[in-house]
Amino acid sequence: MGWDTILRGTKNGLIITWELARVVIPVFFCVTILKYTPVLPWISQHMVPIMKLLGLPGEASLPLVLGYFLNIYAAIGAMLPLGLSVREITIISVMLLLAHGLPMEAAVAKQTGTPVTGLILVRIILSFLSGYLFNLLL
Amino acid sequence: MLAILQEALLGSLSNVLQIALIVIPLMIFIEIIKDLNWLHYLTGVLAPFTRWMKLPQEAGLPLMAGLFFGISYGAGIIIQAAREGTLSSSDIYIINLFLVICHSVFEDTILFAAIGAIWLPVLVYRLVLAVAVCAAISRFWPGFPERLFRDRAKAT
Repeated sequence: MGWDTILRGTKNGLIITWELARVVIPVFFCVTILKYTPVLPWISQHMVPIMKLLGLPGEASLPLVLGYFLNIYAAIGAMLPLGLSVREITIISVMLLLAHGLPMEAAVAKQTGTPVTGLILVRIILSFLSGYLFNLLL
Repeated sequence: MLAILQEALLGSLSNVLQIALIVIPLMIFIEIIKDLNWLHYLTGVLAPFTRWMKLPQEAGLPLMAGLFFGISYGAGIIIQAAREGTLSSSDIYIINLFLVICHSVFEDTILFAAIGAIWLPVLVYRLVLAVAVCAAISRFWPGFPERLFRDRAKAT
């Protein structure tokens, strides 16, 4: 352990920051622009019945879908411009921490030789149940 | 339109910067843990939980690696253990189940903490949930992972 450890850590941190910036900045731009078009209110309006159960506004469906299919970075990029409350951010964070990057992470799990369909289902179910639970508790 | 672009530019850059200021020290800390080989000491802490989930002691290392360094890192160690034959296929299923529910506890938690989430209850909840789900399946439905493998073998 020494300078090379710190150097390696800094390098990894910079790589993550770069990966993050590459996704967060464009998504942030798109969602900020969407906010001022009728598209986001339209999506939001249609998602209200489901999102109400989770204590979230309709437009929070956007970071959830992006997080499930892509990754946490994309979800964060989409969450930030929405101006959500701490409570809402916490509910989304528990939902996304349980289920994110589903196609990619299923591919990783599959490499260990395990069937993954059930694992994906478990993650989505736990994600929704936990969002519902945190909405009741917070 | 210009105001909207300005809002997006300033908002995204300041948030990325804020996350970078937390992520870089964290990654240095993780490299230090790797160098000092703490993983092996810490697997001892996991022992009561692995026993609870009816997993062999050898499961501690892939679980710890996945929890600290991420799901790909955990998977790498599972593959190695599978080659050495120290883990059965249902052990591997339970370890995967644990890790898809809970992994990268430092990195993922800190990303959400950086944007304002209340992180500690979420972290504790995630750990408890992963142990509870795995223990429940191992104890009450131990045949489940094997059945999955049998079904798949039949299908192919």
